[in-house]
Amino acid sequence: MSALAAAVERVRSRERARAPRPNLTIKDTWWRHLVGIVAVLVSLFPVWFTVSAAFNRDNSISGTSFWPAHPTTQNFTQILTNTVPDPASTSYVESHFLRWFANTLLIAVITAVLTVLLGALTAYAFSRFRFKGRRIGMTFLLLVQMFPQLLMVVAIYLIVLNVGGIFHFIGLNSYSGLVVVYLGGALGVNAWLLYGFFNTIPTELDESARVDGATPAQIFWGVVLPLALPVLIVVGLISFVSTLNEFVIASAILRTQGHLTLPLGMHQFIDQQYGQRWGPFAAGSLIAAVPAAVLFMSLQKWLVGGLTQGAVKG
Amino acid sequence: MSSTAAASTAAAGAIPKGALGTRAISAFSGTAGRVMKIALLSFSNALAAWAAYVLADRQDWIPLAVLAAVTVAIDVVYLGPRRSLPAKFMIPAGLFMIAFQVVPIVYTVDVAFTNYSIGHIASKAAAIEQIKVTSLQPPANGEQYTMGVARSGGRLVLILQDQTTHKNFVGDGSGLKPLPPGSVKTNALGVVSAQGYTLLKGADLFSLDKTLSTFAVPTTGDKAIRPLTISSAVEMTPTLRYDRKRDAFVRITDGKLFHDDGKGEFVAGNEALEPGWKTTVGFQNFSSILHDPLVRGPFLKIFAWTIVFATSVVFLSFFTGLLLAIALDKRGLRFQRTYRSLILIPWAMPGFISLMIWAGLLNDDFGVVNRMFHLNVPWLFDANWAKVSCVLVSFWLTVPYFFLVSMGALQSIPAELTEAARVDGGSPPQIFRRVTLPLVLVATSPLLIASFAFNFNNFNNIYLLTGGGPTQSGQPIAGSTDILISYTYKLALATGKGQDYGLASAVSIIIFFIVATISAVSFSRTKALENLN
Amino acid sequence: MKTKRSVALLAVLALAILAATAAGTVRAASKATTITIWADQDRKAAVTQLAQTWAASRGVTVNVVVHDFGSIRDDVGTVAAADAPDVIMAAHDWTGQLAANGLVEPIVLSAAQKKQFPTYTLNAFSYGTAIKRLYGVPTQIENIGLVVNTSLVKIPTTFAQLESEALAYKKKKAGNIAIAVQQGTNGDAYHMYPFFSGLGGYIFGTNKAGNLDASDIGVANPKFLKNAKLIDKWNKEGLINSKLDYSTSQNAFLTKKAAFWITGPWNSDTLKKSGLKFKIIQMPKIVYPSVPFLGVQGFMVTKYAADHGVLSVAQDFVTNYMSTAAAQTALANVAGRWPANLSAGKGFSDPVLAQFGKASAGGVPMPNIPQMNNVWTDLGQAWVRSTKGAGAEKASASFKAASRAIADKIG
Repeated sequence: MSALAAAVERVRSRERARAPRPNLTIKDTWWRHLVGIVAVLVSLFPVWFTVSAAFNRDNSISGTSFWPAHPTTQNFTQILTNTVPDPASTSYVESHFLRWFANTLLIAVITAVLTVLLGALTAYAFSRFRFKGRRIGMTFLLLVQMFPQLLMVVAIYLIVLNVGGIFHFIGLNSYSGLVVVYLGGALGVNAWLLYGFFNTIPTELDESARVDGATPAQIFWGVVLPLALPVLIVVGLISFVSTLNEFVIASAILRTQGHLTLPLGMHQFIDQQYGQRWGPFAAGSLIAAVPAAVLFMSLQKWLVGGLTQGAVKG
Repeated sequence: MSSTAAASTAAAGAIPKGALGTRAISAFSGTAGRVMKIALLSFSNALAAWAAYVLADRQDWIPLAVLAAVTVAIDVVYLGPRRSLPAKFMIPAGLFMIAFQVVPIVYTVDVAFTNYSIGHIASKAAAIEQIKVTSLQPPANGEQYTMGVARSGGRLVLILQDQTTHKNFVGDGSGLKPLPPGSVKTNALGVVSAQGYTLLKGADLFSLDKTLSTFAVPTTGDKAIRPLTISSAVEMTPTLRYDRKRDAFVRITDGKLFHDDGKGEFVAGNEALEPGWKTTVGFQNFSSILHDPLVRGPFLKIFAWTIVFATSVVFLSFFTGLLLAIALDKRGLRFQRTYRSLILIPWAMPGFISLMIWAGLLNDDFGVVNRMFHLNVPWLFDANWAKVSCVLVSFWLTVPYFFLVSMGALQSIPAELTEAARVDGGSPPQIFRRVTLPLVLVATSPLLIASFAFNFNNFNNIYLLTGGGPTQSGQPIAGSTDILISYTYKLALATGKGQDYGLASAVSIIIFFIVATISAVSFSRTKALENLN
Repeated sequence: MKTKRSVALLAVLALAILAATAAGTVRAASKATTITIWADQDRKAAVTQLAQTWAASRGVTVNVVVHDFGSIRDDVGTVAAADAPDVIMAAHDWTGQLAANGLVEPIVLSAAQKKQFPTYTLNAFSYGTAIKRLYGVPTQIENIGLVVNTSLVKIPTTFAQLESEALAYKKKKAGNIAIAVQQGTNGDAYHMYPFFSGLGGYIFGTNKAGNLDASDIGVANPKFLKNAKLIDKWNKEGLINSKLDYSTSQNAFLTKKAAFWITGPWNSDTLKKSGLKFKIIQMPKIVYPSVPFLGVQGFMVTKYAADHGVLSVAQDFVTNYMSTAAAQTALANVAGRWPANLSAGKGFSDPVLAQFGKASAGGVPMPNIPQMNNVWTDLGQAWVRSTKGAGAEKASASFKAASRAIADKIG
């Protein structure tokens, strides 16, 4: 399908939208509503109980009920001020929720932005230039991105450990170390995705810019990137979310409590050591999930485009 | 639908709006762009210069050479001729990919042929030093000296007072000499003063730490007095002697020879000296995968379950998603948008949070699911139920995705087609089976494969929900719900077998091949290969 | 174009030289002698205070870093050298693994210092197959006991009494628990050890030299297997259930849903504050005495101290300062564990900790050889599998499987 066909599709959908709304009777649609309601109930089931637990004073899982039995906001205060009581002692469990949250956002945003930028540069080169070694380069790209970084966690860990012993700024416990590792892992897939898209941008546009005297760099920044903006956002968002959810490599590189990302930090709340602090955990989940969910819902329309290209959200 | 169709739809919409952005961005490509280029390049060179300094300081010559070559290459590409144009665009990403994707692959292969594991971490030289230190025995009666450190004629000497006899000595590398009684004064913190010697204190003393740790005052035979802390020393008897010629340790008491067994240990019979060291062991790790029942046994079982898991998640989710899309894709349906938005919630929430929440809800004694529905299902405790839970929760997470894409696929089917089928007298189920479903499948099959490949390696869905558990009897590493990727993770980092990097790398390599085959199939199906040209 | 290029080149070079100079200056700045100590959250304040007192007297500085106690053992092997600790708080059962990897430095105590400690605590920190050395200075000892709510049940003197009292209490009300002992999904061989030893189980035998023998695994020894059917009986009657974890066991005892609770001194503050009437005893003999594991905690000097050039200073802190009665009393006052130093123990009083101390009689120090790593999970899981209520595996089969798995892993 070309851009032309896509345009036709857009026009058609606009026409559909303008067509008069058919009169549907309950007899035609009751089963549709039934399916919809059941689906919504199933979707919301865990969410509702998380909300209920977050506002309930009883901390354990067994205290969770449909409505909070003892409504309170103490769970939010505890998780935000790092004062989740530790059942094993008189003090608090070690938690740094806001720190974890900030760490995660920082790492995910930087990774997403750089992935898009560097991926786009590579994709542009492969899409617009014909040079010696291009085919080899692309085969390399294709092969390399087939190996999940997850499987190399041992090697990555040892590399970061040893290199970090010399250059601390990319060593264990450093965010920059984690980001560069993520970049290495994500670039293959994303460059490939972007390459496919750049090929659909007509070269006539570059050509006319070149005639006007633009350099390749100017064409990249001034013509191709703005045209590709929606896809860049999709790739960035998907990279953002997969970084947000990443567990294994983060667990190998980030070693101390204050440095963790949210998945690592929150995972400790369901471990035994934390005596299952379910209330604060639920409160933290809500705080962490709501912004991400809102972002996703609002960019949903754009994301569908990326998804149909085979990008899978974690 | 080609793999890029939807993206081009999105782009087409953006063209008219792009003007402002275009202008903003192109502002950076003139002089400003050049300034930025120079700045970035200077930064990378500065970083390289600093790194070179550190490496030279550590005498790491090979990394230094690599660094220099890469830096020069970068400078040449960006400041050099037009010919290197494509390279300008590829270098930034290429560097990261080589450093953190290619090098780890190579390194994994390298480690797979070594015994790198707990007890075999350091180099042989370090291990020999460590063994020498641990082989020293303090006297059985626990006798010690109170110690002070002084300089005498530029040489370092130890001022020593025997804690039981209170006799005074001065010692250096050549031996021990007595000092007159009363010439050395001590308190709880060590030697306070020594007649004729100026004691080293504070920073002067602390800076000698590395010298002191190897300082030895020979006494009788092999024995020597060695500093213990900043204020005490003890006479140590070595129990092992390293014989450089034979590359072996000799036990002094019985003359027993501990020789290098080629597997990173000094052994004599069934006795081995600790620590060992890291060394190449050939195919030993691979052969233990083939022969070690602990590794080989569960491998096939896990492989089968990984496939079952990925397949069932994809198919259940796809058909449910399609069903939902068919039910709700009706123009004029009330609350359509509400349904749609709410159904998307599981997809919009960060996956790790949903998974951990489900782990709590499915707790079989106290979890909401069992209490709400008055069930007594061991959701996470029983091997089979845990598998069901893994599939169900992953299903819950994946349905909205397929709902979305099915919705898109359904809407892209031209109304004329179904209309024509209806005119030809097809019943709704027939139209669905003959027209709608095939078209939807054509559009979504690349996505089904991609989703399969994704779930095949879906570490989070397993690890955060069940941790791979429950364990199986007689099977210490692999749990009932472990998929290949979580199994490798456990082998490498989280098992009782300790951190056996060598073995884990060998298993990784085997899984590499399995995963690569699946990826290759998925890619050839998504026609990505056609894009090569 | 040519000039522009050379200007660019010049700029790039200038910046590079600037950076190299900067790197040189950074390195020239010298550092004061500082030792880094890893301690857990609970003991951080006490350790900081002690370390600072010591540091002031020696003219050095200390940096106490909070580190989750459970992960110190593994993290000390994986930390970047620059952030690595010179001294760590440690549990004695890590000794083998840390020493075998060359991560900790041997320690030498003088005759007078040795006399201050029970022999078993020093043995607990000693390790070596060919050459045995001491690797830690013991500071605190701990063990679990059976906490009995004396206003709900009588203190049992035999296991049969315990069993009938516990089951009777369980039947009293829905939701009651017979014996609150934590296991959870991952199992907990430590808290189950009194049951294990009471049935005749042991972990490793000892060889002639008195060292633990990893080839003699007692997880499914004949004596134990003979009594293993008792586990099936307990599972059936609900005396113990693997689904209880730390917090549910604790909650059950504190909310009077359970009259018996197996726990250790880390809960002594909770117990004191609970307002319940309780007594801590050793679990009554089953077939053999139901002894608990003994745990010793202490301080170790890491190999990083030598790399950082602070070995002699770190050794001084651990051997000459943390071994003293004064330091150990100060630590015991905040950390809810009995001090290891004998004279500190004499001067120390805490009614709850004293009861835990009595419950330790005949206890077995946790094996400190690295092979123990292979035991925890499998033994814990054997208990989980055979005490999970309905659908539980037969105990003899479950423990035999665990024993096989452990033997396989030790190789």
